[in-house]
Amino acid sequence: MIENVPALLIVLPILVATLPLLVGLRYERVGWTVAALTTTAAFAMALWLALVIFTTGEAVIHQLGGFPRPIGIELVADRLSAPFVVLATGISMGVLAYTRRGGPRGNSFYSAYLLLLGGLLGLSLTGDVFNMFVFLEITGLTTYALIAKGKSGESAIAALKYLIIGTVGASMYLIGVGFLFVATGTLNMIDLATAIPQQAGYGNPLILTAFAFVFVGFAIKIALFPLHTWQPDAYQRAPDGATPLIAALVSTVSAYALFRLVYTVFTVEFLVSIPHASEIVVTVGSISVLAGSALAVMQRRVKRMLAYSSVSQFGLVVLAYGLMNDTALLGALVHLIGHAIMKGGLFLAVGTIAAGTGARTVKEYAGLAKRMPFMAGSLAVLGLALVGVPPSIGFLGKWFIAVGAIEAGIWPVAVVVLLSTMLTLGYIARLLERMYFTPAPTRGGAPEGSLATDGSGNDPTPGAVSAGMLGVTVLAALLAVALGFSGGAFDSLLGPFIEVILNG
Amino acid sequence: MSPVDLLTSVPPAVPIVLAALVVAVVPRTAGYAVGALATIYLFAVSLLTPPGEYLSVLFLGFDAQLFVADDFSRLLGLGFGFLGTAAVAYAASSGLPRTTLAFVLSYIASVAGVIFAGDWLTLLFFWELMAVTSTVVVWAYGGDAVRAGFRYAIAHGTGGVLLIWAVAWHYVETGSLALEGGIAPGAPALLAVLGIGVNCAFIGLHTWLPDTYKRPHIAASVFLSVFTTKSSAYVLYQAFPDGHLYIAYMGGLMAVYGATFALLQHDMRALLSYHIQAQLGYIVAGIGIGSAIGITGAMAHLFNNILFKALLFMAVGVIIYRTGEEDLYELGGLWREMPLTALGYLFGALSITAIPGFNGFISKGMILDAADPHYYGAPEYEALYWLLMAGAVGTLLSFVKLGYYAFLHGPATTDVRDAKPGQTAGMLSVGLVCLGVGVFWPAFVDILPFSSGLDLHPYSPGHLTDSALLVAVSLIGFAIIRKPLSALGHVPDVDRILNPLVFYTGRVSMLAITGTFAAVDRGGVAFVRACYWVGNNPVLAVGRVTRRLPAWLVGEHSPADGGSRASSDRRFDGGESPREPTQTASEPSRLYLRTTIGGTIMLIVLALTVVLFVLVFL
Repeated sequence: MIENVPALLIVLPILVATLPLLVGLRYERVGWTVAALTTTAAFAMALWLALVIFTTGEAVIHQLGGFPRPIGIELVADRLSAPFVVLATGISMGVLAYTRRGGPRGNSFYSAYLLLLGGLLGLSLTGDVFNMFVFLEITGLTTYALIAKGKSGESAIAALKYLIIGTVGASMYLIGVGFLFVATGTLNMIDLATAIPQQAGYGNPLILTAFAFVFVGFAIKIALFPLHTWQPDAYQRAPDGATPLIAALVSTVSAYALFRLVYTVFTVEFLVSIPHASEIVVTVGSISVLAGSALAVMQRRVKRMLAYSSVSQFGLVVLAYGLMNDTALLGALVHLIGHAIMKGGLFLAVGTIAAGTGARTVKEYAGLAKRMPFMAGSLAVLGLALVGVPPSIGFLGKWFIAVGAIEAGIWPVAVVVLLSTMLTLGYIARLLERMYFTPAPTRGGAPEGSLATDGSGNDPTPGAVSAGMLGVTVLAALLAVALGFSGGAFDSLLGPFIEVILNG
Repeated sequence: MSPVDLLTSVPPAVPIVLAALVVAVVPRTAGYAVGALATIYLFAVSLLTPPGEYLSVLFLGFDAQLFVADDFSRLLGLGFGFLGTAAVAYAASSGLPRTTLAFVLSYIASVAGVIFAGDWLTLLFFWELMAVTSTVVVWAYGGDAVRAGFRYAIAHGTGGVLLIWAVAWHYVETGSLALEGGIAPGAPALLAVLGIGVNCAFIGLHTWLPDTYKRPHIAASVFLSVFTTKSSAYVLYQAFPDGHLYIAYMGGLMAVYGATFALLQHDMRALLSYHIQAQLGYIVAGIGIGSAIGITGAMAHLFNNILFKALLFMAVGVIIYRTGEEDLYELGGLWREMPLTALGYLFGALSITAIPGFNGFISKGMILDAADPHYYGAPEYEALYWLLMAGAVGTLLSFVKLGYYAFLHGPATTDVRDAKPGQTAGMLSVGLVCLGVGVFWPAFVDILPFSSGLDLHPYSPGHLTDSALLVAVSLIGFAIIRKPLSALGHVPDVDRILNPLVFYTGRVSMLAITGTFAAVDRGGVAFVRACYWVGNNPVLAVGRVTRRLPAWLVGEHSPADGGSRASSDRRFDGGESPREPTQTASEPSRLYLRTTIGGTIMLIVLALTVVLFVLVFL
């Protein structure tokens, strides 16, 4: 029974995605209900799957159609993928609490929503590099659709931009997979791990080229500087209800996939034996940390600022991939999960605030603490967690990465990691200062920017904020703090896996 | 521990500074007692400390000698200590506020630091401190004195900086900060002579002197007239122990210049101030000659000048104190009303004009002998000798004038009282010392430096004849010029040119500096803002650049950017361009898409190339 759960997790959302459109012909607002039921079921299954994996310690492997490995496609749920499956289903379920009132409305949105969930779960669970490309495309295409759900022309532009750039990224990944297949004759991840050194050798130009294509392709998908250009537009122009999902999951699962490819397919021996391989990873990450933070500080619009913040935070994660020690890798995974929760929560808060007050720029956040104390509080808590103030999941991740950088003895990187905390404070402090220490402008003239078209067309109307919107945001803030005490738990859950990939 | 050990255990400046702090807080009477004790301490230290080096400390890697006693410093210390005590008594009854006395004591402390300094670093430190504290003494009076104090501060600040440069350059050239041997020749010497020249009131650098000293409290003027100029003359000797012809002639010219301008003054304290310059001229001339008798004469005149110049400021101060009148021509016949003050003035005037029997006769005679080519001097000092003689005539004339108009001319217009007891005590004690030095001159000569080998005959018939001749010439001269002199109005000094010059130079350079700074600042801010704008609006930036490119380079671009040049200049990140009509707000420009997407694809290719290159080829 349990070995079918991975397949079910992928198939269920994709199949159900047709229902809102079909049933919607008869019942107008059925989409949310269908999505809610499906995500809840998926979340329950994900929890069960994770429970089985962590109690038995064995990976759950599903062979599609019963074909064994060299020919058939495998779905693998192991210690690494289980947390991300839980994360994806959980956040999908949580964001629905926002979209019920906050929108966007319409059955087609929920179809795309469920398709996206299916794509993300597929990315997390697949054990086959070509199959991963398929799910990458599913994820990408549905993301384009979600961004385009914004009502303004800019949303369409942002979606088009992501469509072109994202497809280039996925195609580069596909080219990389092609090189791997040419070199080894297999597409299965576990087979590749042994086939690369045995049949081609790490130094084989085909393998090196494959690594370059895969890394650059995923750098686009993860939105690392300077390949991030699609991302701020996409996050800003997407509807307020879709941004949390996209920001929390799409890049996160892509980063997970990169981790999977680097450490399961290419393995740590590749990074060690090939000169400059790990240096490239660390350098790209470090540049992204600094540039992303600098760009974030410069922004006037809160959503765009948080988008650039993601460029910086994912830089931190990728940087940790290149450090190749257990502390740094644990930090990378913890920060990946933590960032999803924090950034999702932040975008939920931003959306709720926009719905309640129409405030979208940093300037307009003046005096927000008085007008929306819970949202301002959640924003403050999540922001400080992102900075890395203990106790919070953000602190855990940054702490492990910093310790890992110091253990690795690469001092410039350690400095970058510590600097990233300060730079994060640079843009979070702007928000805090506005919300808590700048008095609200006097009511008289409409605040500047309230007429600005931001793409989602959310006008502040009374009753625009529901208890669900408030509740899920506060829940994210609480979760970010509560998980700050889970350092030991993460270590015991993920530690054995990291031990295996580092030491064979 | 013997008393001498106790006295030499701290730099002389320290107890005086402590006294200044005490004076600032205790009641006035107690404060004046403490002030008198502090000046008596300075006298005692100078009297009791045997020559030698005490208190050497390591400061910033330099060996700073805080307390070196020799013949020079002891002589100056005795003069400053004695005069200081008399002046404190004078000030006590002249109503000098307690806080001003505290500033005065800190001023005296810095002067003590200068004269007992054993190296240039320590000397510089106290030299700058002296400039600061004396400025504060001027400022403390308020009113007119504040603006004059600023001019004073500018002059002494400039002089101080010049001396710092001189010492720094000297250190670079010689590698030593010891006082021995003076300042290195060349640029350091030039800087030093200018820097010290400000304090010594060289012609052209002297405008601060008559400008400042006539303005503060009468008792403050007494202190100011003594310390800065005299200690600076001593520093001039330390910088140029062998003298210099130019310095000697500068001294001669100062004597004539100062005496001439003194003669032209109406304001009594301004008259006395110009005489500071004139008498410094004799001292500078003696230092410039550089022979043993020249330096001995200079130091003797320096010591005597401390006494009689302060005495004259005291007497004039009493007149101002009692009558409230500063203008000489408004006074007259005061000898009947103020006989004690007149006596004090007489002692001072007889001393400064070098009448036999008084101290000025002894010291001025030594300097004249040093310059006289028929005596100790050399042929090149012939002109100097006559300059100094002319200065002596001018001095006589102006003090005859001052005495005549203040005490003799006509009946007293007002009914005034004489000097108060403290003022009288101060004046008469100093006056008696002036007389004593003139009479018991061999004892005085014994404490002068380089005096052992000198064979002096001040009361020789030749000297007395010269003196009588000078007096006769002056009295006849005064009778002739008295009328035209009183008809003469204010005669402008170089300050008429110098003050506006300094002011506008300062203003223009200040504006130039702040203007340059503001321009650089504006440029920097504009640059950062431009980068910021380009970062936020990359598409617009590209659009503006491409529109400026020549057509042959980019081809026909008007259809490519959406057919409208204006539409490419729109903000797409916010849609808030005020210039754009609403119907086109959501219509994108192709340029925007081409730039962002094309640019990113280019970056992707670039990144891939770099990664491939690094992995495969490095």
